[in-house]
Amino acid sequence: MTNFLQTLILGLLLGGVYALMASGLTLLFGVMRIVNLAHAALILVAAYLSFVLFETTGLDPILSLVITMPVLFGLGVGIYLLLFPRIEGTHRYVEMTVLLTFGLALIVEGLLTFAFTGIFRQTTPAYALDSVSVGDLFIPTGQLYASIVCAVLLFALWAYLQLTRSGRAIRATTQNRAAAQIVGINVRRTSALAFGIGLALAGASGSLISFLFSFFPAKHWQWIALMLALIVLGGMGSIKGAVIGALGLAVASAFVSDSFGPTWSPITFYLALFIILLVRPQGLYGTKLRL
Amino acid sequence: MALIEVQDVVAGYGGGPDILTGVSVTIEEGTSYCIVGPNGAGKSTLLRAIAGILKPRSGEVRLRGVVVNGLRPDQMLAEGVCFVPQDPTLFPVMTVRENLLMGGYLLRDRKLLVERLDLVYENFPALSKLETQNAGTLSGGEQQMVALGRSLMLEPKVLMIDEPSLGLAPMIAEMIFEKVREFASFGITVVLVEQNAVRGLESSDWGIVLDLGSKEFEGPANGILEDPRIRELYLGKRLARKDVR
Repeated sequence: MTNFLQTLILGLLLGGVYALMASGLTLLFGVMRIVNLAHAALILVAAYLSFVLFETTGLDPILSLVITMPVLFGLGVGIYLLLFPRIEGTHRYVEMTVLLTFGLALIVEGLLTFAFTGIFRQTTPAYALDSVSVGDLFIPTGQLYASIVCAVLLFALWAYLQLTRSGRAIRATTQNRAAAQIVGINVRRTSALAFGIGLALAGASGSLISFLFSFFPAKHWQWIALMLALIVLGGMGSIKGAVIGALGLAVASAFVSDSFGPTWSPITFYLALFIILLVRPQGLYGTKLRL
Repeated sequence: MALIEVQDVVAGYGGGPDILTGVSVTIEEGTSYCIVGPNGAGKSTLLRAIAGILKPRSGEVRLRGVVVNGLRPDQMLAEGVCFVPQDPTLFPVMTVRENLLMGGYLLRDRKLLVERLDLVYENFPALSKLETQNAGTLSGGEQQMVALGRSLMLEPKVLMIDEPSLGLAPMIAEMIFEKVREFASFGITVVLVEQNAVRGLESSDWGIVLDLGSKEFEGPANGILEDPRIRELYLGKRLARKDVR
């Protein structure tokens, strides 16, 4: 029983971080039909930014969210306005976004390798190696903090989308772009805003990841594969789906890892991906898309 | 001064051919219009070009004498030009109430927004019963009502409605026509595109006939209804181009 609870807790803690990573990705797809293969690479940019801040000024990686989120937001708006209006309205737009963001991911990876080499990096705040114990269970402090931050940010995202005028504009654009245009939403500005928010979430994820995992520039391929599996499972474009998919899969992979060894844990994601594509291709909360 | 003047507009989609091949029409304030013509004549395209959804390749759209064909749809809407597209474009996972409120997206005054919402419910009592239902679950007629109700939220000057009766049962379609005529009586300039040409013209003052991307004919709606040439067009025998010239 203890072992079961322990595995569950570790899975949920990890799932919280995955949920934050995937929510930005699914937001971009939902609002703009952009499959952002560079999402994990941009998460890495934030992770390196936190790393540099930690090494030079000793700034706590969680506090560095205050810097990484706005920086990535600005980067997102800039990237969107620079690259995406050019391919808007083209034939096979979604496929074009895949190619474009694949290129972007390669460029970002190249720049990171140039700046930081391929050495493994990690920020090492005191709590990263600490843990608290509750009865027989132990909870890694770093992961606990990271999960709390994720929960707060995801709640803030939900509240923003439900309660604010621009949040409603984003939801409306997600549900029906043509209708959004009809009611007077400036869809380009809304898209730029949503891209910025998606990347701000990537920024937050990067700062948290900086002390949870060690990373190097090519690490993002591993993450993006995992995140894509998560959002397809949840239903592309659905934030609720991404969160539930992330928590579910992280817990499942924790149990697989516990029973069969950590080598087998990544396969949980791809197996789930296979099954969902066979059984319910639109994902848990996805709608059938007309692309 | 005419409310809207469309002059020699050429327009098409993406890299495709010209759908509108140089069309000129004038919309006067307070008159209701029905645009008729065969499939592919460019009726919807004309409305889209006026609404700012489609940029004309050449020609001008003027609103009260000012050239507006560089404006975005939201800017046209702010000028009082509202477009209701063919298939009711609603937000499927928002409730009817939320959909209607989205119609007033450009209004920042929350109080005014709620007032307008009440006005819409007054006009479409059926909608107040559906208030909390998701728009995606409504029938075609109900969706069309939401789309029309939503278009009233900004109290538009011009309401351009594209085929509101498409795919609806005759009784529901009849009710929609009734509503459209009511809008005109509020002082809204209605521009209707309708495949049911007879019914559309009956509820309008002025008729415009489009074919092959340009205006073939225009005149008082009841005059067009009695014109054997136009009637023939709608009995399925499409006039060849040379016959018209």
